[in-house]
Amino acid sequence: MMTIGSESRQRFELPARIVGGVAAVVAAASVLLSWSYDPAALDDMSFWGAPSPLQFHYLALGALAAILYLLPIALRPRNGSWTNWVAWNTAARFASFTLLGFPVIAVIAIALEAGGLINVDPGAWLALGAGVVATLAGVLLPTSPEPAMHRIKTHPVIQILAIAAGMGALLFAAVFALGLQDAGAFLLYAGFAAGLVLTLLRLGVFGWLAVCAAANKRVLVLAAFFVAFAFPFTQNGSEANMSIATQVLIFGATALGLNIVVGLVGLLDLGYIAFLGAGAFTSAVLSGSAFATINWTPPFWLTVLISGTVASLLGLLIGSPTLRVSGDYLAIVTLAFGEIFRITMNNLDGSDGPNVTNGSDGIPGIPDLNFFGFDFGATHVIFGVTIGRFANYFWLMLLILALIIVVFTNLNRSRIGRGWVAIREDELAAEAMGVNTFALKLLAFATGAFLAGVAGAVKAHHDVSVTPDQYVFLESAFLLAAVVLGGMGTVMGVLIGATILKLLPEKLRFFSDYRLLLFGLLLVFMMRFRPEGIIADERRQLEFHATDEELAEEVEEELVTYHAHYNPDPKGQK
Amino acid sequence: MEFFFQQLINGLSLGALYALIAVGYTVVYGIVQLINFAHGEIFMVGAFGAFATWVLLGSPTTWSLAAALFVLLPAMILGGVVVSVAVALLTERLAYRPLRTAPRLAPLISAIGVSVFLQEFIRLFFGYIPGMPDSKRAIPFPSVEGISGASFQIGQVTVQMPAVFTIVALVVCTLFLWFYVNRTKTGRAMIATSQDPDTARLMGINVDRVIMAAFAVGAALAAVAGVAHGLRYGNIDFRMGFLSGLKAFTAAVLGGIGNINGAVVGGLVLGVVESLATSFIPGQFGSTAWKDVWAFALLILVLVFRPQGLLGAKVVDRA
Repeated sequence: MMTIGSESRQRFELPARIVGGVAAVVAAASVLLSWSYDPAALDDMSFWGAPSPLQFHYLALGALAAILYLLPIALRPRNGSWTNWVAWNTAARFASFTLLGFPVIAVIAIALEAGGLINVDPGAWLALGAGVVATLAGVLLPTSPEPAMHRIKTHPVIQILAIAAGMGALLFAAVFALGLQDAGAFLLYAGFAAGLVLTLLRLGVFGWLAVCAAANKRVLVLAAFFVAFAFPFTQNGSEANMSIATQVLIFGATALGLNIVVGLVGLLDLGYIAFLGAGAFTSAVLSGSAFATINWTPPFWLTVLISGTVASLLGLLIGSPTLRVSGDYLAIVTLAFGEIFRITMNNLDGSDGPNVTNGSDGIPGIPDLNFFGFDFGATHVIFGVTIGRFANYFWLMLLILALIIVVFTNLNRSRIGRGWVAIREDELAAEAMGVNTFALKLLAFATGAFLAGVAGAVKAHHDVSVTPDQYVFLESAFLLAAVVLGGMGTVMGVLIGATILKLLPEKLRFFSDYRLLLFGLLLVFMMRFRPEGIIADERRQLEFHATDEELAEEVEEELVTYHAHYNPDPKGQK
Repeated sequence: MEFFFQQLINGLSLGALYALIAVGYTVVYGIVQLINFAHGEIFMVGAFGAFATWVLLGSPTTWSLAAALFVLLPAMILGGVVVSVAVALLTERLAYRPLRTAPRLAPLISAIGVSVFLQEFIRLFFGYIPGMPDSKRAIPFPSVEGISGASFQIGQVTVQMPAVFTIVALVVCTLFLWFYVNRTKTGRAMIATSQDPDTARLMGINVDRVIMAAFAVGAALAAVAGVAHGLRYGNIDFRMGFLSGLKAFTAAVLGGIGNINGAVVGGLVLGVVESLATSFIPGQFGSTAWKDVWAFALLILVLVFRPQGLLGAKVVDRA
């Protein structure tokens, strides 16, 4: 691409705005035309004058881009006013990229799904052309200064409304994405969502939202749980999506447990799936299934506690070598433990050892939970919406996940959590400062394992059967990947990572054969280009970019304000 | 007593296989302190490379004994070595070198990614190479006249020829390795780098080249092990690297990681222990279903109680 000096960029600004704005409007208008001759491709873009849901998204995107291009002409951004704190130009550029990318993906998907480019109708070509023009205009715009929307003062009511709107948008997006059956349509939507998020990020909206969220933390957390709680009502009895959602929660809960060990204490555990397995097998053996080997069925709350305890005992056992082993060696020890667990579960079948787990057949026919008379297998109708079996488990897991998050965040902020971080940063120094490193490491293993065991207890009932081959090394690698991908040491990041790793394979079944191949590549690329994960823990980020002075200052500043916020009285610190 | 010697021979040949792979772990670890988690896959790729060479030679099945032993077998080994070394150097360049200054977790996670990627790559794409069979299931490894299926007797003890091949290969490779490390310039540069990389660099040693050499040597030996594995078990599949790799790592640790002689000793000891455990532990826990458990238990015990390994002169303490 040719380079354009900043002076000529200034000269081009007004024409670029007008051209970009017109192109965005044209792109938005293109949804009134048919995009695809074949109604089966994507979500039926074959109507004239009646856009499909995905086309409506494109319409909204075009409108957003048009506003970003044209509004500054009217507002004339000035120093010191909010109009100058918004990064109009950079955002317009990214919106234009998305305006171009969307029809590109759509054209490819239509050509692939309907058999040839002949099926692409004028609307898509018009959108593509408009996208090219808008992108050129966006490149010609001078780059905006860094957005500073967090400086905008907002009334608390508006802040809360913004949080509510954001959560609502999130719920809508999740429901819409899950409802897309066609793989091409899902990819198109994912591209749209990524483009929109990038645009808003460049605009500075997230900086502003972060301020709103920080000022209303409780509201944010409550809203998040309300949205998650409301999710089953949007599915109208459809069980497929509820099952995926429950699996995401189970996976996320386990990943949070692993996050204590890997993210907070910095001990790499490659056999973590064994704890989930221990919980699941314990729960299965005590479930009263016809294949269970122990004829005692305690109430479920007790089963959960027993499963967690068994898992955490195993955690203590696996964690005990940390007294003498650290670093890569510990990773291999945990990997060996994980393999031993799987092989042992396989062998306790009555012929190679005592019969506990039925060997490789596992324990099938696990009955549904019955919690104080509430049958989890039954279907209920609440507010006229059918709530099926998986929705019941979804709510149970949501409750458990909430507990896990509370435990995680409180531990993280406590003396124990600071001890953990100290061990992660420098174990010798931590020990010299009087941190009981061994006890804290054991505690991390036991706590993480307990959480995973609890998740496993629910998983056994949700899955109906438990077999040893569900608990192979690859699953441990997936858990680790969720933590690494999302951001070690963070709650939000790990949940996002777990969602991505569970949801994408379910929705993109056409490449299920390439799933692991891409997974391997993903790990390599993450380590190469963004080792701190999608949502970075600041201190972590610094570890991975040790030479970045600017980042160091930024993080220091944030940590100082953070501590000033939580410990306003310096004398209160011991 | 015959039974004991029989198991001993079995264990030694199994151990020789582990030892050949273990050298790769130990050489790389000695120089860059990286557990090359993907090394098991390098071994697997070597076996597939040898198989592909056999197909390129026209899938010969009726060659005479001399032709099989002196043309086919060396050609297959060479083919495997070329493929393994190429893949190992590529992964080093693309996945590990950029992370050399990163925190320790990063290269290990990257290595796990490489491991999964290589397995899947072979599973999905090996069959697309013209002339190659579909690799989603195990592929029968070509039989080499005079080795595959052949055996001889010493008293009551049966010695399989693939076992002899593995042990001979180990002896030859160890001698070659000893010569390479102690008598060549690159080898001595390796020793220097493993002792003190910074000083080595100041003395004009190209550390990047030394690291590449370490990866290449390890990969070459792993490819030989791949051929030995194919001859021994009669088939190869894309999953074979994981367990063998883990066992070989156990062997490397057992002998003292970073110590080449240790890797050889560790491999032999591990093979013998595994073999004897399945025959001399009484009751249900002595069945072959538990042999991997005993191997891993040994790994854990060594790591906890003697992390420097059997021959470890080097005390490893790293966080």
